Amino acid sequence: MSYSVTDPSGRQKWIAATLVTLYAVITILPLLWIIGTSFKSPSDAIAYPPKTLFTPTLEGYVNLFTTRTRASEEELKTLGEPTTWYDRIVRRDGFIIAGPSRFPERFTNSIIIGFGSTVLCIVLGTAAAYAFSRFKVPLKDDLLFFILSTRMMPPVAVAIPIFLMFRQLGLNDTHAGMILLYTAVNLSLAVWLLKGFIDEIPIEYEEAALIDGYTRFQAFYKVVIPQAMTGIASTAIFCLIFAWNEYAFAVLLTSGTAQTAPPFIPTIIGVGGQDWPAVAAGATLFLVPVMIFTIVLRKHLLRGITFGAVRK
Amino acid sequence: MLDTSIDRAARATPPAVARRIRGLSDRAIAWIFVAPSIFLLLAVNIFPLIWTIRLSFTNFRVNRPNAEVEFVGLKNYISVLTNGDIWLTMQATAHFLIATLVLQVLIGFSLAYLINKKFRGNDLWTTIIVLPMMLSPAVVGNFWTFLYQPQIGLFNYAVGFLTGTDPSSFSMIGDASLAPWAIVIVDTWMWTPFVMLICLAGLRSIPNSIYEAAECDRASKWRQFWTITIPMVLPFLMLAILFRGIENFKMFDLVVQLTGGGPGSITELTSINLKREAFEKWRTGYASAYAVILFVTVFGLASIYVKALNKVKQR
Amino acid sequence: MTDFIKGLRNFRRGAWEMVASALIAAGVVMLMQPFALALFSWSFVVTLTGTVMFIIVSHFPE
Repeated sequence: MSYSVTDPSGRQKWIAATLVTLYAVITILPLLWIIGTSFKSPSDAIAYPPKTLFTPTLEGYVNLFTTRTRASEEELKTLGEPTTWYDRIVRRDGFIIAGPSRFPERFTNSIIIGFGSTVLCIVLGTAAAYAFSRFKVPLKDDLLFFILSTRMMPPVAVAIPIFLMFRQLGLNDTHAGMILLYTAVNLSLAVWLLKGFIDEIPIEYEEAALIDGYTRFQAFYKVVIPQAMTGIASTAIFCLIFAWNEYAFAVLLTSGTAQTAPPFIPTIIGVGGQDWPAVAAGATLFLVPVMIFTIVLRKHLLRGITFGAVRK
Repeated sequence: MLDTSIDRAARATPPAVARRIRGLSDRAIAWIFVAPSIFLLLAVNIFPLIWTIRLSFTNFRVNRPNAEVEFVGLKNYISVLTNGDIWLTMQATAHFLIATLVLQVLIGFSLAYLINKKFRGNDLWTTIIVLPMMLSPAVVGNFWTFLYQPQIGLFNYAVGFLTGTDPSSFSMIGDASLAPWAIVIVDTWMWTPFVMLICLAGLRSIPNSIYEAAECDRASKWRQFWTITIPMVLPFLMLAILFRGIENFKMFDLVVQLTGGGPGSITELTSINLKREAFEKWRTGYASAYAVILFVTVFGLASIYVKALNKVKQR
Repeated sequence: MTDFIKGLRNFRRGAWEMVASALIAAGVVMLMQPFALALFSWSFVVTLTGTVMFIIVSHFPE
């Protein structure tokens, strides 16, 4: 290895590594704490001093997925032996399971709205980005700026007229309404990112395809789309994460049928005070997929984070 | 350029093939491709925007659909812009903005600078540091209320452990003097990685040859830092500051879940205040004027942002 | 500095964009400053002027 004057020395690297590691550990601690809390019993969760060693239990998860009612000793005796493991956990605290909770519904809503809006957004966004990248669109720069600025608007301010419009159209608190809304919000980012990716594909490929007798449209989906696949995939992840995390529109425009998980999780309350393990369990189930996504796809994600400004 | 090369290709091919190549004209395809997006944005963004502007000149209230809607001119704007409470929420937003930007720029830049030393395993640590910004702010805000609990919370325990104060003697969310810092800490925890990533991109865009040349001129490391590193990263830093500035100007989800604007209205940022006017007091016309003011501010900042973005892209 | 004034006189984009950005920045500062309610009241007019100016001058030649 050749020696360069600009290479950091071993000691410098060592100091840098220590400081960054320290920061990373502090950063990850709250997340690990929440995951840990989801496996605690309610009394362990509120113990002082905070417990780092505890017997793990699935009580939080059982409480998250069920609604329970308190039962007296006699009632419990008449019921006989608990038949399932979750019955056993609940009865230990003197409760019986009354039914499933709303959490699975809300979680499903998050999945439907998240994936629905992502697919729609990618289809519309790829087409628009291709047109912006390859053709002379009148007022192109103004349109692009306009498209970008719509995403920057404060959601609460946007929600006022959307609320009125959706009420007129009967779209309030529906999956279709939320999918359309999230698509519109994400479209700007998608077009902006995808245009960058498509700009990078050499135009000669399409010209060759056109000479081979493809129509423009065939050239688009047989040549450009496969080339842009990595870009499309990472854009899709961004749209998905946004829709998954979104709270302001969800809390203002949905209340029942189409409510997603972010407005729901904070409303989880136990019997007598907040049921922290259940809240932590909800947060864990909701956040862990994103964490795994981030770690697995870090190369693609980190690239697109600043609207493609960071691209090298 | 594209047109000419296709024209050339068209001229070089027999007429029968040429017709097939052409199919739809480029212009038609361009419109077919752009139209659905533009239509959706018109329907979900522009139309509501125009509606908001129109409502902002009326006394319309959603909860009184049968009341007569009157045109009130600039009255809503005047009452928003002379309202001392709104001015106070703007100041609360300013405090939040300044504190988070200063902290995030300092910590974010330092981290990027350290990571750029390219020690072994820097990839892994970068990914871990980035994790918080990928998560749902509302859910994050909610679980930080747990970490901030006076006695049982991890944060209070850690502070107590490090400084020797009693962890149950202070409440980050309940104390009026601490609540503004509670939201600053969580926002910094969450968004420092963003500033870090942009700074890192800036640092990595500096060619090594510049440092080598400086080394030949016997410039000290300190001098190199101030005359090469900082000026070269500055455009990127500007970008990060503008972007985070716009984001935090409209901050809603995280703070709503964390403090709900309290105690009192100490942490009531603009968006939270607007939500109260629009969706709790249902003063729609008034809230629309308020919203238009925020729109114009963000639109103005966004145009500066795009200008800065283009400058960075030209590098 | 003379370049800047020349730019303004010849309707060049760069110089005018600078003026518009400065107006927007001033408007935002006025909106959030803690000193005078009057500044807060007039902030919107300033920001709006800056923004409209920005949209217009971004169509000037480079």
